Amino acid sequence: MFESLQHLISGFVIAGTVQNLLYCLIGCIVGTIIGVLPGIGPIAGIALLIPATFGLNPTSAIIMLAGIYYGAMYGGSTTSILLNVPGETASVITCIDGYRMAQKGRAGPALAIVAIGSFIAGTLAIFGMVFLAPPLAEAALAFGPPEYFSLMVFGFIVLSNVTGKSLLKSLMMAIVGLIIGTIGIDPVTGDARFTFGSTPLLSGIEFVAVAIGVFGIGEVLVNVNQPSELLDQGVIMPRLRELYPSLQDLKQSLGAILRGTVSGFGIGLVPGPAPVIATYASYMIERKVSKHPEEFGKGAIEGVAGPESANNSACQAAFIPLFVLGIPFAPPTAILLGALLIHGVNPGPLMISQHPGLFWGVIASMYIGNFMLLILNLPLVPLFANILRIPKRILLPLIILFCITGMYTVNNSVFDIWMMLLFGAMGFLMRKWAYEGAPLLLALVLGPKLEVAFRQALMISHGDFGVFVNRPVSMVFLLATSIFLLFPFIRMLFKKTMKGGF
Amino acid sequence: MAGTGMFPLCLGILLMILSVIFILRILFQVKEEQVSKEAPNTSSESPIQLILFLAAMALATFFFNRLGYPLTSFLLMVALLRILGIRRWGQNILISVVTAVGSYFLFVKWLDIPMPKGWIGL
Repeated sequence: MFESLQHLISGFVIAGTVQNLLYCLIGCIVGTIIGVLPGIGPIAGIALLIPATFGLNPTSAIIMLAGIYYGAMYGGSTTSILLNVPGETASVITCIDGYRMAQKGRAGPALAIVAIGSFIAGTLAIFGMVFLAPPLAEAALAFGPPEYFSLMVFGFIVLSNVTGKSLLKSLMMAIVGLIIGTIGIDPVTGDARFTFGSTPLLSGIEFVAVAIGVFGIGEVLVNVNQPSELLDQGVIMPRLRELYPSLQDLKQSLGAILRGTVSGFGIGLVPGPAPVIATYASYMIERKVSKHPEEFGKGAIEGVAGPESANNSACQAAFIPLFVLGIPFAPPTAILLGALLIHGVNPGPLMISQHPGLFWGVIASMYIGNFMLLILNLPLVPLFANILRIPKRILLPLIILFCITGMYTVNNSVFDIWMMLLFGAMGFLMRKWAYEGAPLLLALVLGPKLEVAFRQALMISHGDFGVFVNRPVSMVFLLATSIFLLFPFIRMLFKKTMKGGF
Repeated sequence: MAGTGMFPLCLGILLMILSVIFILRILFQVKEEQVSKEAPNTSSESPIQLILFLAAMALATFFFNRLGYPLTSFLLMVALLRILGIRRWGQNILISVVTAVGSYFLFVKWLDIPMPKGWIGL
């Protein structure tokens, strides 16, 4: 334990260099702007800025990208409260009570409590990370290919189950993502697959292209498709009656914040879009625990404080599986995984020992980032919100230009831009027909790993498929997966028998 | 045993199975006449705008290398702004110039990222 603290201190030293502080600040600012802009979520934002990090060393790069992740979370809350527009999926819950508060003129306290709650949650979560990460890494060393395979399958199924309305559609998206991931060179044998003789396709489809395409361009296209009048909209900002929360507010929120932190952290460790689940869970907990549940939906400050804190600590906790197992459990962490790989760092149980500077430096920078965001957000919120006054007519082309430019900088390849446009069109259709993009993206990133794990497992067992079931850890994951899959059916059967048969 | 094509093949089969289940589900819904039809919000969509938008992006991508970055970004902005309804050319050109020049300086000069030069030579 003391060793961890020592490492953490050295992490602060690393994160505290002027250079890294600057990168953290840039990340936070850019992230907040991205979070505030409806449409571009943290995924596209991080993806767009990966190219800008090429000249940097891995530690600085990840510090900046992690700052974007955070900043986007904060920014997303801002638009939820001010506009009833969730900047990204995890901010949806904040819209409910947050917007009501804003309508009552209490936008100031709402925004402030978001910042404060997230800061407290982030601080506490960091301690959780410090003490949990190294032991988890050791436990993860016992993972072999079969365990990784089963864990990833579990992660896929959970993610597909929780995003969107239809498990079936999300599963289909996941498989499509896996298939796209097979384009290129077979990781095990080196044969070319699905390349149709085209050279650019040999390296597979650039996942940044898919990310920006589906989430960034897709969203823009959805907006373009809307009737012309909506394009004049920018932002209508309600007048701020008070800027800061009262003591009463703080007292009420404290419990929510603490509860949110704990539940968010636990949920963040689990595969799936943890921040989103954490916000829903926290809202439900707060409603049940509250002494005046009728207030919820009308502007109860706990309804904002709890979910936002849970969101923040879940984001922190999501870094643990990423760094320790090398498996991203949520789409933004998938992008971070891609960024790590691009910089030549291979996350996994060995990462902490091989790159201690990177690991502890990033954790320390998260704390610093939280602090920075607290300072940034309290006074600068009106400024950021003004960006939303830009009418969509002008904003959308700007976003497109940014996407195309950013895409080009990854590989200097116009082919990538074509891919991005193609996936942009696909993203539009996916939106229209209610297919989720997150499973596709996760599958694209994890696909090669999944396949390698699968084939390695079979090689170890000399072709015996029982290897997945014979090993206890692997079996547990597969069992959990089956339960998840069958749960809706079991519930349906239960209901029908309860109602007196078919 | 586990050849190159096995994984894609398994995925393909899985996808087919899921698709069949999907189709069956839709057929069942029609039979049970579920009233919860989610009517899509088609309050006067603008598909023309969308198609023009896509066409503009495609053209820009096509000429990206030939025209060079600053020129392409300028033209793209002009086109997109017009498609979305900015009728006053003055405003349009102003925004496009500022954006194109701004991003050129940001990406090429400040961040030192190589962008295609095109025949203007920028």
